[in-house]
Amino acid sequence: MTVVEQTGAPKTTTPGRPRRRPSPLGSKWTPYLFLAPAALFILVFQAVPLVQEVYLSFTRTRLLNPTRSEWVGLDNFNRIFGDPEFHRTLLITVVYVITCVVVAIGAGLAVALLLNKKFRGRGVARALVTVPWAAPGIAVALIATWMLNAQYGIVNRFLDAVGLGVPGGAILDSSRYALPAVLATTIWQLFPFTSVVLLSALQSVPQDLNEAATVDGAGRWATFRAVTWQVIKPTVGLLALLMTIWSLRRFELIWLMTKGGPVGATETLVIDLYSQAFDSKELGSAAAIGMVGVVISLIVIIGSRLVARAVEKGEVR
Amino acid sequence: MRRFRFGVTARIVAVLVVLGVAVFPLYWMFVTALSSNSDLFADQPRLTPDLGQFGVFVDALAEGKAAGWLLNSLIIAVGTMVLSVGLGIPLGYALSRFSFWGKAVLTVVLLFTQMLPEALMVVPLFALFRRFELLDSLTGLVLVNSAFVLPIVALILKGAIDGIPKELEEAARADGARPFTTLTRINVPLIAPSIAATAVIAFFHAWNEYVFAVTFIFNPDLQPASVGIANFIGELGTPIQTVMAVAFLFTLPAVAFYLLVQKYVVSGMTAGAVKG
Repeated sequence: MTVVEQTGAPKTTTPGRPRRRPSPLGSKWTPYLFLAPAALFILVFQAVPLVQEVYLSFTRTRLLNPTRSEWVGLDNFNRIFGDPEFHRTLLITVVYVITCVVVAIGAGLAVALLLNKKFRGRGVARALVTVPWAAPGIAVALIATWMLNAQYGIVNRFLDAVGLGVPGGAILDSSRYALPAVLATTIWQLFPFTSVVLLSALQSVPQDLNEAATVDGAGRWATFRAVTWQVIKPTVGLLALLMTIWSLRRFELIWLMTKGGPVGATETLVIDLYSQAFDSKELGSAAAIGMVGVVISLIVIIGSRLVARAVEKGEVR
Repeated sequence: MRRFRFGVTARIVAVLVVLGVAVFPLYWMFVTALSSNSDLFADQPRLTPDLGQFGVFVDALAEGKAAGWLLNSLIIAVGTMVLSVGLGIPLGYALSRFSFWGKAVLTVVLLFTQMLPEALMVVPLFALFRRFELLDSLTGLVLVNSAFVLPIVALILKGAIDGIPKELEEAARADGARPFTTLTRINVPLIAPSIAATAVIAFFHAWNEYVFAVTFIFNPDLQPASVGIANFIGELGTPIQTVMAVAFLFTLPAVAFYLLVQKYVVSGMTAGAVKG
C-alpha cells in the first residue's frame, strides 16, 4: 500500500491496444448517465454557492438583510487590504500554515524513520500512533482546552512542577502563548498522517542501496540524503501541498480553542471570514476574505504543479 | 556491542515517548471522565482512571441529551455514507472507464472543491437551505455533507476501479451485460475494500462535521453530538466528568473504525490528492 503504487495505478491502461471509438461500453451518453446524479449534486451544493460567494465579495451585503446586495466593485478588497488588522491576519495565517507544514512533516518523518526499524510490537505501535489523526476535531479541541485549563489543566500542573509555568497559567488567554498552543494541538493531530504516509513511502527505499552506501563508508546523514531522501522526496512534496491546503482551511479546532483570540492572536483567514460573517454580519467583506484564501490556495496548487514539473524535467533538484 | 545496546534502548525510549504523546490526550479524557471531584481538584491530580466512577458513562447517556445527540449524529452519518458512496461509485466508474467531453473539467472541479473551507460556503448554503426549507433538518445536513465528501469518495473509487483489469468487463460485455450490470456485478465486488474505506471516511466526515451543523440547526433536539460537545467548551454548568464521558463516547467509534481501515483511508486520501 505505498503511495507510489497508488499514483502509478491510473496509468495501467492496456498498452499497445488501439483505443476503440465509439466506446464499446455503450452509447456516448452512457458516461453521463453514470455521473449525472453526482455532478448535479456537486453543482448545487458546491459550484453554485461558490459563484454566489464570488458575487458577494463584490457587494455590500448584511447578514440581517441578505437579499439586498449593493454592488460596490472592489471596495471590500480595497478595505481589507488597507486594514492593518488584516495584514496581521495574513501574517498569522502564513506563520500558522508554514509551521504546520514544516513541523508536521519533520515530526512525521522522524516518527516514520523510528517505526521503520524492525522491533517487537511494531504493528501495535504503528496503530497507536495514528490515534490523534482519527480523533474528531471537536473532541481534540475539547480535551486540549481542558488540558490547558489555567487552574486544573494537566499541562499547567506539569509546567509548574518543572518550573516553566506560565504566570497565571492561562495559556489560551495569552497573546504570546495562544498561537503556539493552537499550533501544538494542530500538529499533534497531523503528525500521525504524515508519518503513516512517509512510512509507506519508506517501504520503497531499496535496502541494498542503503547497505551499499554504508559499506562504502558513507555516514548516516549522507546515506539518508543520497538514498532515502531521493525516494521520499515526491511524497514529502505531496504532503507539503496537502498540509498547506488543509491548514489554510482549518476552522473548528482554532475556533473552538480561541475563537481567533486573544485580541486576534490566533486569527487566521478562515476565522476572520467567519467572524466577519457572523459577528460583524458583513457578508461582503467575509466573502472577500474568503476569496483571498481561495486565491492563495490556487497559487499554492498551481505553483506546486510547476515545481513538480520542473523537478521531473530535471531543471530543479 | 555496547554502543549497539545503547542504540536499541534509546529507540525503545523514543518509541514509548512518541506513543505517549499520541495517546495521552485521549487517555486523559478517559481519566478525567472517571475522576471523583476530590481527585479532579486536588493539588496532586490522579493519573489513573478511578474505575469505581464508571457509572458516569451510564449517567451521561441516561440523564442529559447526550444519547439524543449521538443518535442524531448516527442518522446524519449513515445518511451521508449511503448517499455519498451511492453517488460516488457511478461517478468513479465514469471517470475510470470512459472518456467523455468535460472529463478534465470534472476532475479539476473534484480536486478544487477539496480546498474550499466549509466556513466560506456556509453563507450561500444558508440562503439555499432557507429557500428549500432544509434548515433545522437532518436531511439538509445529509445532503450538504454528502456533497462535501463526495469528491474524495469518487476519486478513491476511481483509483480502485483503475486497478481492475478491463478484460473482466469485456468478458462480461461479450456475454451481453449492460454497463450498469457490469458495474454492479463485476466492479463493485472487486473494489469492496475501497468501498468500505470510503464508507468509513464518509461516515466520520459527517460524524465529525461541525460548521454546517451549528449554523443550520436551531432546534436543540436535532443537534448532533459535535455541536453538543462543542457547546460544552467554556461552559461551566455541566460537570467536567460528564463532558469528558460524552466526548469519549463520541471519539471512541471514530478511532476504532479508523484503526480498522486505516491502510485504505491513508492511501486513498493521498491518491485522491495526487493529481492536484
